[in-house]
Amino acid sequence: MDRDALLGLERLNQLALTPEEQDEMLAFFAARETDWESLAQVDTANVERMVHVRPMVNVLREDVPAQPFSREDLLAQAPESMDGYWQVPRVLQ
Amino acid sequence: MSENTLFITENPCNRTAGRPVIGLDDLILTQDAATSAGSKMLAGFKSLFEARVVERLREAGYDIAGKANIGEFGFDFLGESSYFGPVVDADGHLATATAKLLMDSSVDAVVGLEVNGAQARSAALAGQVHLKPTYGCVSRFGTVAVACSGETVDITARSTEDVQQVLDVLAGHDDADGTSLPARECVRVTAAGFAEAAGAGEAFAAPITHVKVARGLMDAADADTKQLMEAAIQALSSEGVDITDMASETDALFAVANLAWNILMCAELCNNVNRFEGMKYGYHTEKYQTIDELYTKSRTEAFGYLTKAAILYGSEVLATGNYERCYDKSLRIRRLVSEAFSNEFARGASAGNTAGQTAILLPACAKRAYSLADVEANPYLAFEENRFTAPAAITGLPAVTAGGVQLIGSAFSDVALLRLANILPADCAGKEA
Repeated sequence: MDRDALLGLERLNQLALTPEEQDEMLAFFAARETDWESLAQVDTANVERMVHVRPMVNVLREDVPAQPFSREDLLAQAPESMDGYWQVPRVLQ
Repeated sequence: MSENTLFITENPCNRTAGRPVIGLDDLILTQDAATSAGSKMLAGFKSLFEARVVERLREAGYDIAGKANIGEFGFDFLGESSYFGPVVDADGHLATATAKLLMDSSVDAVVGLEVNGAQARSAALAGQVHLKPTYGCVSRFGTVAVACSGETVDITARSTEDVQQVLDVLAGHDDADGTSLPARECVRVTAAGFAEAAGAGEAFAAPITHVKVARGLMDAADADTKQLMEAAIQALSSEGVDITDMASETDALFAVANLAWNILMCAELCNNVNRFEGMKYGYHTEKYQTIDELYTKSRTEAFGYLTKAAILYGSEVLATGNYERCYDKSLRIRRLVSEAFSNEFARGASAGNTAGQTAILLPACAKRAYSLADVEANPYLAFEENRFTAPAAITGLPAVTAGGVQLIGSAFSDVALLRLANILPADCAGKEA
């Protein structure tokens, strides 16, 4: 991981580190590279991935419309609302 | 926030004499108090609904005392990354709000979300009892999602009996949680379900008669912690429990379990906190020119350094070119660790204790106390000292921590583990000496 790659990662994740934080983060990533080398020593040939810790099947509920929250409750979550809609900051000129 | 930094929000009036009082950690949604996940991003966030565990506690007659301070998104070492500040003892030792609230008798138990071992470490340092139940037995509906494939609702209390009492209320199937196990399996971790299964001769309900010591991790701990481990071994042995060492190949896998867990946890955290971008939830920056700037400034200003590190690391391990050797590799190591546990549990039974089952004994952390300077000197302690808690986190197995030692058992052995912890020396089990 070099500084350019870190900058790309920051942009991808919508974060902007200070130069000092970047130095610290580069050291953090260097330590993680060592972790990856340790993991590479473990033989996982012919080992299946284990995504869920318990055997699980996807369960879907009946496709019945529901209205768990009222419009008033939902509008109350927003800093501002107008005419029954959320009011959001202007993002287009 | 309260002056004592323990409660983010407190409900001092919400108490009725004689009713048990529960503290909730700040990852559990409630309607009458904000849920901030220890983060500036969610400071003051009020949920429209309550976590299933809160509903169950209220229905069972428990009072909710308030929301306990935790580290940002609960995955740090001992709460040091909280936006609201860390909890530090008068003697300078890092503590958690959970431990202090129990010590002060402000609450009878704390229910939270165990992501990366912080609550197990906290209980170990404070001589309290902590249970990370079998994954899927307690609903996570209404908790702030962080690392869903391993995190569980957890319980910390002053005694094993108190933990069991709360677990009896919380355990159960929930249609609203896609990872919730069927009701017939959830009930196994309740005292009543366990008793019924024991009567029917089911394996998970047999008493634990064999304990294997994780020597590799024990050797990684300091002298005081080793002494606690020796005291626990002595106590268990004197009660007729067979003590042997875990196989060296399992020790070797335990040594890398946290490296794999760090990858899975950060990848999941990265995805889960992506929803916090300054618009739909919580904090948003005041000054911006473009929508990209709004997102970037909001996230940069609201997340702490450790969360940023976890996001970036999680993103990197999922990137093309790294996915195979990091994320995919970690999923395969998860299976190896899980199979190693199964082998240890099976070998215990074949060693002459066919009537009983086997548990693993290991420390919960490396030392008996940590200062704020420790985490300032090494902000990544949570990614290193979780070597003691990652084996249970990555496999979803139940783990009980009591006074510096940790016991991990097979799936659904929660009740048996709590009973085993109960025969530890008084100071080890977190009971009044």
